Amino acid sequence: MSVRKSATASVRRIATLASTTARPTTERERERRRIAVLCLPFFALAIVAGFVPLAMLVRISFAEDTIWMVGWSFGAWETLATTPAYRRVAWNTLWFVGLATAVSVALGVAVAHALEKYDLPAERVVVAAVSFPIALPGIVVAYLITVLLGNQGVVTNAIATVTGASALDLASATAITGLFLGYVYSLLPRATMVLRGTYAAVNTQAEEAARALGASRWETFYHVTLPEIRPGIAAAAILTFRSGLAIFGTVLILQSHQVVTLQIHNEISVGSYAPDVAAAIGLVYVVFIVAFTFVGLRFVDDDAVEV
Amino acid sequence: MSDVTLESLTKAYGDEVAVDGIDLTIRDGEILGVVGPSGCGKTTTLRTIAGFETPTQGRVLFDGVDVTHVPPEERNVGLVFQSYALFDTMTVRENVAFGPKMHGVPKAERRKRADELLAMLDIAELADRRPTTLSGGQQQRVGLARALAIEPHVLLLDEPMTGLDAELKTRLRDEIGGLLADLEVTALYVTHDQEEAMAMCDRIAVLADGTLEQVGPPAEIYRRPANPFVANFVGSSTLLEGVAENGRVDLGFTELPVAAETNGSVRIAARPAAFELGSGPLEADVADVTYLGDRTRLTATLPDDTTVTLHADGIDGYRVGDSVPLSIDEQRVHVLETD
Amino acid sequence: MTGDTSPRADDGSTAVENVDTVAVAASTTGSDGGSVTAARNRRWSWAGRALSTLFGRPIVTGIVAIVTAFLTVPVLVAFVSSFAESGSGVLPTGFVTLDHWRQVLGFGEYGVRQNAIPGLTYSLLIATGGMILNVLVGVPIAYALARYDFYARNWINTFAILPLVPGLILGIAFIQTYPEHGRSSLGLLAGYCLLKSPYMVLTVQSSFQSMDLVRLEESARSLGASWPRAVLTVIVPQARRGIVAGAIITWTLAAAEFNFTHKVASGSPDPFAMFLYRNIATNASYLQSAAAVSVYFLIVVAAIVVLQLLGKRGFSTAHQ
Repeated sequence: MSVRKSATASVRRIATLASTTARPTTERERERRRIAVLCLPFFALAIVAGFVPLAMLVRISFAEDTIWMVGWSFGAWETLATTPAYRRVAWNTLWFVGLATAVSVALGVAVAHALEKYDLPAERVVVAAVSFPIALPGIVVAYLITVLLGNQGVVTNAIATVTGASALDLASATAITGLFLGYVYSLLPRATMVLRGTYAAVNTQAEEAARALGASRWETFYHVTLPEIRPGIAAAAILTFRSGLAIFGTVLILQSHQVVTLQIHNEISVGSYAPDVAAAIGLVYVVFIVAFTFVGLRFVDDDAVEV
Repeated sequence: MSDVTLESLTKAYGDEVAVDGIDLTIRDGEILGVVGPSGCGKTTTLRTIAGFETPTQGRVLFDGVDVTHVPPEERNVGLVFQSYALFDTMTVRENVAFGPKMHGVPKAERRKRADELLAMLDIAELADRRPTTLSGGQQQRVGLARALAIEPHVLLLDEPMTGLDAELKTRLRDEIGGLLADLEVTALYVTHDQEEAMAMCDRIAVLADGTLEQVGPPAEIYRRPANPFVANFVGSSTLLEGVAENGRVDLGFTELPVAAETNGSVRIAARPAAFELGSGPLEADVADVTYLGDRTRLTATLPDDTTVTLHADGIDGYRVGDSVPLSIDEQRVHVLETD
Repeated sequence: MTGDTSPRADDGSTAVENVDTVAVAASTTGSDGGSVTAARNRRWSWAGRALSTLFGRPIVTGIVAIVTAFLTVPVLVAFVSSFAESGSGVLPTGFVTLDHWRQVLGFGEYGVRQNAIPGLTYSLLIATGGMILNVLVGVPIAYALARYDFYARNWINTFAILPLVPGLILGIAFIQTYPEHGRSSLGLLAGYCLLKSPYMVLTVQSSFQSMDLVRLEESARSLGASWPRAVLTVIVPQARRGIVAGAIITWTLAAAEFNFTHKVASGSPDPFAMFLYRNIATNASYLQSAAAVSVYFLIVVAAIVVLQLLGKRGFSTAHQ
């Protein structure tokens, strides 16, 4: 009885909410309508372009016939669960992106620190250098890595000239180190962007107080600055890690490491066409990043996540 | 201009009651000051009159017309904020002409009205500047001109001078007070600075914890505070316990004749000026001395251990531990009813 | 406050420049390499100066220099070598030739002579459409999130500023969900908009957060402006810088979006991302790729300049 009563009560409440939102009389109700109107376009887009396709992805992963998407089967999920190769891809992805994230965030701290604290010569050049690669698509990053480390790369040829070795032997763009640098190239600017925002909010007076009390630069950084930027570092790590997982163009061209995006791509390529498996991997991937983000954000202040 | 009436106005946010049954009228053409400690509900009251809050209970009437559910843009209420909230993308003149524009006043006329108001506020030469290039005092003048441009039913000022420095504050206070009086604007002036309220307002309403403690002209609020809260909030008072009988109050250490008809236990509010130093029946020990330039504030202990605050001339050299003779001016004390 | 700083930006930036040049002078003589000798001279006052105080700054500065070089050198080399006749050797040689540019744009004298201009134009139009859609979608929700407090605000915020689905996966899902429209311009437009909307929401939101939104909105409404009018005539113009910045970011990101495009694009006209892919991954020489990448750099720079000019025009008249 009471369940039914509370159910009717909440139905009534929702109905009241809907009707007052549609025809508001108080300022609070008018405000609620405004919020609804403001959020509506975004949600319309998110549903049409995001949630419906995601739901479709679920359907594909259970499809028996992957050409016409009919019938039901757990085949794709079974394949995913039982084939060791997929676990290896997951492991490959996690350690590789994790390492790239760690390096990018560490370098990002150095860059943000220098930009905020030092009077750097050519500070604008540095700012531009760490800002613009955010707009570069992965395939362009891959090419830029070959410009440095490819067969005709600048660094490769410079070393070849000095040491006398063959440039072809030295080229490392398509080795895993080249791919790693490609990841850092894409991720470092993102990490730096978050960290610069964090650094701008650091209390410099506390740092000066620490110096005046006799702390060295390192001690000041370790005891005063670092605790203050820790939420920013966590936020940068979360965002960088997410971006790293999504990198596809770079790895498609350099091809030196089997990560999840490349695996998804391979699953729907001609020759090994398995869209249901691709969809299943994609779903695992999406669930993972959503869960990871929300768990990660619980440890950071929400405001810190402002790219 | 018109009068504004609040009828048992109550505003609650969930369980938190910000304003609790206020009945108040701002009379046509008067400046009503609203003072009280932070969180007392004064800003909520102002926002309710403006229409940005709908009261949980009670009504808001403009000239007897219920506007409780009328949206802010249809109320014709002028707002002046502490933070000015000027429109940075417009010139000063455009800022002032914005309201008339929204009310459909033709371009030439609203420009004329804006220029008149700017001249009236002595900032005509700033008409083509951007607000961000102005000083705080200039910005506040623009804010006032903007609010006056719609010829509002009531002008609501929310701590308009809090961000300004002391000297400018005094000057602007006199100027704006005079201007509002000349224009016969009905205004609600919210401030935490009771001195400012006394200087500018025709009447003052004292709020505490969402309820109205007292409303009346500044002199009445100061001389005859309704209760201990008002006595302490508006100026400082020493509260003395006593027993009243037949027009005299027995304070234990002395007796005073007072003009009150109550009998039984009462409390007496005594302003610092009620204590006369130098001669008298009482002896007090000086416990603390604060030099304030034009005067010295003394904290002294009466024979029954009551602590009183009093003022002495700045050049008299009192020291902690001194014993001073003291008398109480019965004209300057006020008997509070005790419940 | 955005509005607060904008009119002073001109004065401010020249002041910053002055500081910069002074700083350059100071740092070359003192703070970097010179700090060691300075410490020796003043040893009496700093009995035991910590290592980090002596070497921390030069080391960090060195790291920043390496990072800057790592990020910029390949871009510059790619751009310069796109005009070179030969790319072998340490430095490209044989300047100046426009062969590679002609080649990639489809006007070459040999090889695949596919005109790239229609594809470029198409991509730029789609990116512009996505940008406009993003303004229409992103600015309102950014305003709601910055201005109001409501149920589940934090969840919606997280959801709006973090890309939910990666482009690659969205692309796969898209063509299955909308088999008729998924590969159309409309599909690309919607996909770009959703994928890039977090950048718009974030930049606009931070612009809003620096404004006194509640009081501005209330001032305008008390003066008789209806709520939509208050937002459009008072709030939005003041947040213009953030909106322009968001537009630049979403445009440049959409112009060469690859992961989603790669899965969705139908091939005619060939979107820009596919043009890049063709010229980098497949049948292209090193220098041809350089030219293709340089085309992209030029477009990005041009877009930034154009959008900034559009956004600044209001502000420069605002100074007087």
